[in-house]
Amino acid sequence: MYRGREGQWAFYLHRISGIAIILFLALHVTEISSSMFGPKWFNALLKFEENPIFGLGLVAVAALVLYHALNGLRIILMDFTSWGVRLQRQLWYAVWVVYVVLGFPMLFIMLRHVFVGGE
Amino acid sequence: MQVTLKILRYNPEKDARPHWESYRLEAEPMDRVLDLLHQVKWEKDGTLAFRKSCGHGICGSDAMMINGVNRLACKTLVKDLGTDVITVEPIRGLPVEKDLVVDMEPFFEAYRAVKPWLINDEPPPERERLQSPEERAVFDEGTKCILCAACTTSCPVFWVNGTYLGPSAIVQAHRFIFDSRDKGAHERFPALGSTGGVWRCRTAYNCTEACPREIPVTQLIEEVKRAIMFGQM
Ligand code: SF4
Ligand code: FES
Repeated sequence: MYRGREGQWAFYLHRISGIAIILFLALHVTEISSSMFGPKWFNALLKFEENPIFGLGLVAVAALVLYHALNGLRIILMDFTSWGVRLQRQLWYAVWVVYVVLGFPMLFIMLRHVFVGGE
Repeated sequence: MQVTLKILRYNPEKDARPHWESYRLEAEPMDRVLDLLHQVKWEKDGTLAFRKSCGHGICGSDAMMINGVNRLACKTLVKDLGTDVITVEPIRGLPVEKDLVVDMEPFFEAYRAVKPWLINDEPPPERERLQSPEERAVFDEGTKCILCAACTTSCPVFWVNGTYLGPSAIVQAHRFIFDSRDKGAHERFPALGSTGGVWRCRTAYNCTEACPREIPVTQLIEEVKRAIMFGQM
C-alpha cells in the first residue's frame, strides 16, 4: 500500500462512498418500482424491509452520504480557490469535525427510528 | 548501524514475477539510500539494476518507492527514514524492465503531448522578449521540475488509468501556459482538456507530497484546470 497522506485517504473514501451511494440509489429505485406489480408485492417488500438490518444499512448509507457531501464541499473549495489547495489538510480535518457535529444527532435519530420505531 | 535493505527484484529473463530480497548492510546514519544500493551492487550482487546519474538530486534518474513513498534515492538519508528496515521498490504504473529500472517512455510521451517548448510565432524583437519579475514569478515553481516522475507514479489515478497524462506533464504545461512570452496555450489545451488530461486529477495530493523539488504540484494542476475552464489564456 502506497503510504499517502490525508489527501489520498480523502480521495479513496470519496470514491468508495460515491460508488456505495450509486448502488444504494439503484437498489432504492428498484424497490420503489416494485410497486408496479401491485400492492401485494410492494407491501410484502416493505414488510421484509422492516428488519433492523435494513435500518442499519440505511444508517451506513447516511454516514457515507454525509462524508461525500462534506468532502465534496472541500473539493469545491480546492477547485475554485487557491487557498483551498494550500489548506487541504486542515479542510479535511474540518470535514471530520463537522461530520461528528452533524453525524451524532443524525445517528441518534436514525437509531431510535430503527429500534424504537415511529416518530 | 546495521540496516536491512529489502529490494523488490525482478529479472525478466529468469523470474515470473518480482520478489523481495534482503541484504544486511553496515550503514552510517548520514548515508543516502543510493549509497546502500551501491553497496549492494558493488559488494554483494553486481546484477542489481537501478538508474542514477548525478547523485545530487538534479538529474531525476533515481526516483523509487522507498518505505512506501516515492523519493529520490540520492536525496533520502538513512537517518531520516527513522527505521533500520528499508524497503525499495520501482516506481509504480510504468512497466518494470529490471529490478528498479522502469520503462519511462509512457512518461515522456505524456511530456511531449503538452508541447513543452516556447510557442510564439510573432517575429522576434530586436533583443530579448522582455518579461517583468512578476510575470516570471507566476510560473517559477514549474521551472524547478527535474522530470523524475516521482509525482506521476505516486498518483492513484495514473496507476489505474492508462491514458492520464499525469502530474508531471501538467506541471510542464503550466510552466509554458503561464509564461507571458508564450502564445501556445490553445495548442496545448486539446491534450490537457481531453479525457486523459487535467480532469482526471482527483486531488489526492500524493504528487505534491512526493515531489523532491517541493513543487506544489496539485496547486499547479488546479491552476491549469481553472485556466481551461475560464478560458483565461
Ligand atoms: S513535478 Fe516534482 S516529482 Fe514531478 S517530475 Fe517534476 S520534480 Fe519530479
Ligand atoms: S541521481 Fe540524479 S537525481 Fe538522484
